[in-house]
Amino acid sequence: MSLCALAAVSILVGFIWLPSAQGDFSAQGLWASICRAAGVPAEWGETTSTAPKSDLRSTRVVLERAMGRQGSNDAVGRGATIALQQCTMCHGAQGVSSADTPNLAGQYREVIIKQLIDYKSGDRRSSSVMQALATNLSDRNIEDLAAYYASLAKTRNTPTVNIGNVPALVRVGDPIRNIAPCASCHGGIDHKLGTPWLEGMAQKYLQDQLHAFASGARRNDSHAQMRNMARQMTSAEIAEISDFYARPEQESGGS
Amino acid sequence: MLAHFSVAFAAFVLAIILGEWQMFVRSPLHAWVNNPEHYYRSVTMHGTAMAYVLPTLIAMGFGYAITELALKRPLIGVRWAWGGFWLVIAGTLMASTPVALGKASVLYTFYPPMIGSPFFYLGVVLVVVGSWIWVALMSINLRAWRTENPGQTVPLAMFGNVAGAYLWAWTSIGAAIEILFLILPVALGFKDTIDAGLSRVFFSWTLHAIVYFWLMPTYIAFYTIVPRAVGGRLYSDTMGRVAFVLFLVFSMPIGIHHLFADPQVGAGFKFVHAVFTAMVSVPTLLTVFTIVASLEIAARLRGGKGLVGWVKALPWDRPMMLAVTFSFIMLGLGGAGGIINMSYQLNETVHNTQWVTGHFHLIFGGAIVIMYLMIAYELWPQLTNCAPLPRRLINTQLWLWFIGMLVLSLPWHWVGLLGMPRRMAYFDYTHPDLHAQAWTVTVSTFGGLLLVISALLFVFILVRARKSTARPDPFAFSVSLDAGVKTPVALNGFGIWVGMMIALTVVNYGFPIAQLAVLKDTNVPAIPVGGR
Repeated sequence: MSLCALAAVSILVGFIWLPSAQGDFSAQGLWASICRAAGVPAEWGETTSTAPKSDLRSTRVVLERAMGRQGSNDAVGRGATIALQQCTMCHGAQGVSSADTPNLAGQYREVIIKQLIDYKSGDRRSSSVMQALATNLSDRNIEDLAAYYASLAKTRNTPTVNIGNVPALVRVGDPIRNIAPCASCHGGIDHKLGTPWLEGMAQKYLQDQLHAFASGARRNDSHAQMRNMARQMTSAEIAEISDFYARPEQESGGS
Repeated sequence: MLAHFSVAFAAFVLAIILGEWQMFVRSPLHAWVNNPEHYYRSVTMHGTAMAYVLPTLIAMGFGYAITELALKRPLIGVRWAWGGFWLVIAGTLMASTPVALGKASVLYTFYPPMIGSPFFYLGVVLVVVGSWIWVALMSINLRAWRTENPGQTVPLAMFGNVAGAYLWAWTSIGAAIEILFLILPVALGFKDTIDAGLSRVFFSWTLHAIVYFWLMPTYIAFYTIVPRAVGGRLYSDTMGRVAFVLFLVFSMPIGIHHLFADPQVGAGFKFVHAVFTAMVSVPTLLTVFTIVASLEIAARLRGGKGLVGWVKALPWDRPMMLAVTFSFIMLGLGGAGGIINMSYQLNETVHNTQWVTGHFHLIFGGAIVIMYLMIAYELWPQLTNCAPLPRRLINTQLWLWFIGMLVLSLPWHWVGLLGMPRRMAYFDYTHPDLHAQAWTVTVSTFGGLLLVISALLFVFILVRARKSTARPDPFAFSVSLDAGVKTPVALNGFGIWVGMMIALTVVNYGFPIAQLAVLKDTNVPAIPVGGR
C-alpha cells in the first residue's frame, strides 16, 4: 500500500508538479507537459520542417562499418578505369601525387567515399576542381574509385608513437584545449572509421586543410570534430604537425 | 566454496595490481606511457574482474556455504554447482582474452555504440549463466528445506542469501537482454547500427542493483556473523529480514539515476528514480542501527557502562571488530557520497568526474570488500581444516586496507569536485590550471600501494594457513535477541516482495523501454574498437 502511495506521489511530483514550474515543459498544456516529462519526442518550437537547416549541416554522409570493407575485384577494375581517365593527372599515376594534392594510394575506402560524396553534394567546398569532377560521378563510380584506391599500397605505414621526435600534439594531444592526440584517430594509437590516413601527405595540403578547418571554410567534418581541434591550434603547431606527417620516408622511425 | 573463493581472490589480486598500475601511470609520478589504449585496456580488465568475476564468485561460494551451514544439510545439486563454477571460469577466460589483446577496450559498462570482440560479451554471458545456476540451486535448496520443515522460520542467513539470489536473477536480465539482443548482433557482424540509448537503459536496469547483489554477502555477514564474532547477540532478527526484503524491492527499479545526463529518458522518470533511490538508503540505515545495537549488547556483556562508554569495552583486538568498524566508517562516507550522486541536481556537479570513481572505490572496494575478506577469514578453518589464523597479522592487513582505501579515495573525491574528468588516460600536470590538482593523484597512488600490500598480505595469510589436526568447531551463526518470537509470514517468504519488485520495475522502466524500442530512428552506427 505504502509502495503504491510513494509511487503515486513521486509520479505526481515528477510528471505534473515539477514540469509546471518550467515554461518550456508546460507551454502546451498538461498532457503535453506530462509527455515531455516522460521523454516522448516532440517539436519544441514553431518549426515545421524536420530537416536540419542546411547551413548547419556539415555532411550528409553517415559512416557505417560496411563502407570500410574491401571492394570486389570488379569494383577495383572499374575504379582503375575511372581513375585513369579523371584522377591521375592531379593525384598521380599510382595514386601518389607530385603536386600538392592528397595521395590517394591506400586511403581508407570509407574516407574516399565520404569526401567524394561531400564534394558532389557541396558539403565540401575547398576545391572547385573536385566539385566539378564529382558532380558527374554516380554512386557506383564513387564506390568503385574508393575500392580501387583502397586496394593500392600505402605510401608509408604508421610509425610507432614511442619514437622521440613525435610532436606532443600527435602523441598526447592537449586535453586542456580539447585537442585529442592525432594518433588516436588517424592511426598510431587507434584508427577511427572515416578518418583519413595522413602519412606522407603533401605538407602544403595538410597545412591548408588545417587552416581551412580552423577558419570554418572547410566544414564537412561531422560534429565539427576537426574544426574544434584546428581552431585551438596555433599556426606554428599546424606547421609542425604538417611537417611531421609529410616527412620523407627515410626519416620515419618505425615500420 | 573454497574453489569459488580461491579463483575470486586470484582474480582480485591480478586486478588490483592492474588498478595500481593505472593509478601510477596516470599520476605525476610517471611519464605518460604514450598509448591510452593500454590504459583503457587495463581499465576494462580491472573493471570486469572486480565487478563481474570477484563479487559473483564470492556470492556464489558464500551462498553454497550458507545453504549447507544454515540449513544443516548437504547441498542439493552439487554437480550443477560445479557446472556453474566452470561456466564462470570459462566465461572469465573467454572475456579476458580479447581484452588482453586490446580487442575489447570498451570498459566494464560496455559503452555502446563502441563494440568490441564478440568473445568479450559471450564471456560475460557465460559468467552470468553460471550465476543463474547458483540462483536456481538456492531456490531449490530452500524449497526442499521448507518441505521438510513446514512452518519453520527460514534461518536469517539463508533468507538474506536467497533474497540476494532473486535480486540478482531479476536484475541481471537487463544486461543479458542488452548483450544478447542489442550488442551481440552487431559484434558478430549481422548489423552495423545499434540502439545505443535503449542499450544504456537496459544496462542501467542491471547497473544499480548489481551493487546490491555485491552488498548482500557483506550484509549477511553483518547480521549473522559479526554479532557472534564479537561475543554478542543480534539485536533484532526481524530488522534483518526487513532490510533484506527492502533491498529486494528497491534495489533494481532505480537504475535510471545512472542516466541522469542521458537525453533519451524523460525528466519525470529521472525524478521518480531519484525518489526511489532515496528509499534504498533505508535498509542501510536500519542495518547500521541494528548492528551497532548488537555491538552494544556485546560491549555491555563484557562490562561496558555509560551512555557511550561501552564502546571502550568492545573486543578491539578481534579482527571482526576492526573490520565492522572500518566497514561502517567507509559505508558512512561512501553512502553520503551516494546520496549526493542520487540527488538529481547535485549529480550534475559530479557527473563524469573523478568523484564518481572515488565514490565506488570507497563504498565497494572499501566497505563491502573488507567484509568479503572477513568472510574468507571466518570460513577458512571450515574450508581447509586449518589452525586458527594469525590474529595480529589479520589486524595489520585490515588496517592497511582501511587506511589505504581512505588515502586512495578521499583525495579522489576532492579532485573530482575540482572538476577532474573520469576515464581520461592522460593529464598534463605541467599546465598551470592542473598543477594544483596533481598532488591528489600522487596521494591516491600511495593509497593504492597500501591496498596492493594489504591484498598480498591477505593472500599470504590464507595460503600459509597451517593444517590443523583437530576438527574445526562447528560453524555458528549469530543468535538474535528475538530468537523465540514467531516471524511474520511476510518475512519468511519472498513472493510478495518479488511481486513488488517486478511491479515497480514495470512502472519505473516500462514506458522508457517500450518507447525506445518502438521509436524509429534511434539507431546509430556502431564504432568498432580494437582495430578495423
